[in-house]
Amino acid sequence: MHRISNRSIALVSVLALCSGAWLVHSGTSGEGPPQPSAAQAAPARPGAGSREAAGLAASVPERIRVPSIRVDAPLTGLGLTRSGSLDVPPPERKNLAGWYERGTTPGEPGTAIVAGHVDNARGPAVFYRLGALRHGDRIEVDRADGNTAVFTVDAVAVYSSRDFPDEKVYGPAARPELRVITCGGGWSERTGYRGNVVVFAHLTAARPRR
Amino acid sequence: MRQVRMLAPAALALGAAGLSVTAGLAAAPARAAEGPGLRVYPATAEPGATVTVNTAACAEDGAADGDASAVGAGAFTLAPSAHEEEVIGQFQVPASAQPGTYEIRASCPSGAEASGDLVLSLAGAGEAVHPRGHVQSGVGGALGPDPVQTTAGVAALAVAAAGGTWLLHRRAQATGI
Repeated sequence: MHRISNRSIALVSVLALCSGAWLVHSGTSGEGPPQPSAAQAAPARPGAGSREAAGLAASVPERIRVPSIRVDAPLTGLGLTRSGSLDVPPPERKNLAGWYERGTTPGEPGTAIVAGHVDNARGPAVFYRLGALRHGDRIEVDRADGNTAVFTVDAVAVYSSRDFPDEKVYGPAARPELRVITCGGGWSERTGYRGNVVVFAHLTAARPRR
Repeated sequence: MRQVRMLAPAALALGAAGLSVTAGLAAAPARAAEGPGLRVYPATAEPGATVTVNTAACAEDGAADGDASAVGAGAFTLAPSAHEEEVIGQFQVPASAQPGTYEIRASCPSGAEASGDLVLSLAGAGEAVHPRGHVQSGVGGALGPDPVQTTAGVAALAVAAAGGTWLLHRRAQATGI
């Protein structure tokens, strides 16, 4: 006789109860994108991972990859808005990031700037998990000249929109550096996201594109 | 005419060779207007600069004739780039060129054409301008309840309740109540 044992029914019921409770809890809490801790906001101590690579010649970047948060996205050129702030890629394309094309190209000495959306009206976008990056994580930028510029994360910080440190984020640098920017810092119905998550990284290697 | 950078995914497939000019990009905050399909980098340069252009308009042709005579740089050739389906070329802006906006053109053997604008600014007119302030890069769409996940959770809880009820029913039968 094929009779389902009481134990099977109990097992399935318990599994359904646990997964149901978890789904309902996380489905209704809407906790938002990960934010960096205060420890990540401080610059990484110089160590093995922070060696510096020589700068590359200017070349247009085409793609950005951040393996630790599974980002692999094409890059589009960005300008400035009328108010002088960095423009952003079209929000309806969730897996698209942009680079500031009037500035330094990634890998060149100076401060290269990349920005992307944390979310759009439909849900998470390309840099949703940017705030989860940590010291030493790798960021790769494929360039049109056939090189991949490899950057290592020095710090991950959140800055309020009202007190945004322009010089620190966008200011010039002597070595090849990269900033990756997305929205963060809490959200309110009235003002939207209250600030930006900013990743600071510097060039640690360059290799031919795969 | 469409705004290539905003709308056309094809325009994302950029390709440009290394170039020798990075300094002296102009302080014009407005984005240079673009014709269809010809990327000009840097879009804003100063007299004497080397400018790189690329386009996907000549995908099948593998080459194109560039025309930078508007800015006094004459004809140049666009050759296949490392990037698939794109041709790329360079020209040097004459040191005597005057500030202004110039149309750079490329024509393919197949007859297709592409153009883009080059903005010339005076050398030393301004340092490379960097952005100011925060970036508007999210709308909160990833926040708040997720109805799909919540529904799945409720369904799973219903399964658990059904299983529990079934077990209780069996136990009642077994004890002969």
